[in-house]
Amino acid sequence: MKKELAIKLNNVHKSYFLANGDEVPVLKGINLEIKNGEFVALMGESGGGKTTLLNIIGVLHPLSSGEYYLDGENIGEVQDDFTLAYIRNKKMGFVFQQFNLYLRLTALKNISLPALYAGQERQVREKKAMELMESVGIKNRAEYKPTELSGGQQQRVSICRSLINDPEILLADEPTGALDSKSGLEIMKIFSDLKKRGKTIIMVTHTSEVAKYADRVIFLRDGKVVDNDYKLTSHY
Amino acid sequence: MFLEIIKMSIESLWGNKIRTFLSMLGIIIGVSTVIAVVGIGKGAEQSVNEQFQGLSANSLIIMSSRSRGSTGSSNLKASDASVVKEKAEYITEATSLVRGSETVSVGKESANVSILGIDHNYFDVSNYTLKEGESITEEDIDSREKKVILGFNTVENLFEGDVDLVGQNITIKGKSYEIIGVLDEIGSSFGPVVPDDSIFVPYTTAEKSILGTKAFILLNLTVGSVENVEVATQEVSAILREEHKLKASADDDFRISDAGSMVGAAQESAQLMTVLLTAVAAIVLLVSGIGIMNVMFVTVAERTREIGIAKAIGAKQFDVLSQFLLESVALSTIGGFFGIILGLGALYLINYLNIMLIAYTVIGPIVGFSFSVIVGVFFGFYPAFKASRLDPVDALRGE
Repeated sequence: MKKELAIKLNNVHKSYFLANGDEVPVLKGINLEIKNGEFVALMGESGGGKTTLLNIIGVLHPLSSGEYYLDGENIGEVQDDFTLAYIRNKKMGFVFQQFNLYLRLTALKNISLPALYAGQERQVREKKAMELMESVGIKNRAEYKPTELSGGQQQRVSICRSLINDPEILLADEPTGALDSKSGLEIMKIFSDLKKRGKTIIMVTHTSEVAKYADRVIFLRDGKVVDNDYKLTSHY
Repeated sequence: MFLEIIKMSIESLWGNKIRTFLSMLGIIIGVSTVIAVVGIGKGAEQSVNEQFQGLSANSLIIMSSRSRGSTGSSNLKASDASVVKEKAEYITEATSLVRGSETVSVGKESANVSILGIDHNYFDVSNYTLKEGESITEEDIDSREKKVILGFNTVENLFEGDVDLVGQNITIKGKSYEIIGVLDEIGSSFGPVVPDDSIFVPYTTAEKSILGTKAFILLNLTVGSVENVEVATQEVSAILREEHKLKASADDDFRISDAGSMVGAAQESAQLMTVLLTAVAAIVLLVSGIGIMNVMFVTVAERTREIGIAKAIGAKQFDVLSQFLLESVALSTIGGFFGIILGLGALYLINYLNIMLIAYTVIGPIVGFSFSVIVGVFFGFYPAFKASRLDPVDALRGE
């Protein structure tokens, strides 16, 4: 049975330590709930902790304290590399502002990579990759390397990569930040489409244009959630 | 999946051809050194063994040496052999050898040849065998017969073509000597005697009729068993001192050397050479390993962002570790492979140019190759481990 809540954070703190030992708190007691199938935008000032929060949700960072429930299970204290890698690989898909593709590999290989780490056969993963590329209209770019693709195309490759292992949750860190407005629009249409197909999407953005595609906006300031259902029109 | 990772490693090495080649060079040189060293070392051991082949560890050789302060020749005589054999408890065999050289002629041909005056049992004691004819007998010794046996090479030097030698005569110092036998090829041997280049006559004949005071006397003794070599040496020394009527203060007028310890010393020095050369090879491999480690650190630093991506999309620490480890192992293994080719080539060349005696062994390539793999794993592990432990967020930010 699929639980209603995809993600629940309870009083999550995260601090960094500087080289001289000083503690820099970034997240200061985050509480939030994200339902399955929800499309949520994280907004807020620069340095407000949006990306850190996204990295925590994507288990790229350990929390300093608090509870993190993923599918009803508290994984806040999990440190085992095997489990964390499994979550990143199968449960979540990451889309970055700077695409973060392997420049040495073709689009097809880039997309297949998470499936390789999941131990899938080459034929299976490359077939799936081709299907995904077709669905976002870049099938004819399969053998191109990232440097031979436009920003919009690279971001589509990166979205395909995030989807190859069929994760329930997609995490996107300013996915349109490096794109012109036309390409950005196209990328957002893909995200809306994915939301319609039942994916839970959490996206960091600082533009209300982009945030409009989300069901709900969570607003962060100084490491805290100041609004769980922020109304876009009031500030932007 | 494993194959895919290997493929990716090789692709990444191929992407950096010059760097890959340079870091491989250390391994190539290291492994080829190991192979060359093992070949040369084993060759040296073999040549020592060959040189002393047929020489038993229980033989003693006594040569004349002038005692300090006295003039004139040594008192060592061919007949001392029989005295020693009679008196010494530990000596089972004793033969004397009278050595010198003289012009030998056959028809119009003549040559200066090494002459060995021998006892009747000399061939048995020395493990020499006759190719044809017969040996010198006790009677030949007693009656100072003018009979000769030819060493293997002298036949060629004195006679042309294939002739039946036994029964023919040769001339030494105007007198005719009958050839009664020819020796098999002996090869090189211990001491100053080269049997293949000598002719053999009864020692009595050599001492009195041919060499006279020019004769150099050598006693060849056999000790009953190897453990007794040391006591036998002391015993023989005492007997000879008494026989030569030396005062207690006088030095020996003879020198005793035992074959066993000389063979041992020669083998030891050959082994020492192997050890030293191996140490050099080990150092070369160590240095090449450090080179690989250095390159792997650079590679990891360069690909920090890639590592971050890999982790963000679900690579385990193990995946990252094996990726980089395989890269360094591939680097060193391919280097090792070329090293083997180069090393064997060097050995072949040394052999071809006749610089040194070479032994081709499987040990060289096996040791060299395993070393290269070990170097790759050992020196690649730390950079790979560091890479696998990178924090994904830090790594993504990196570059």
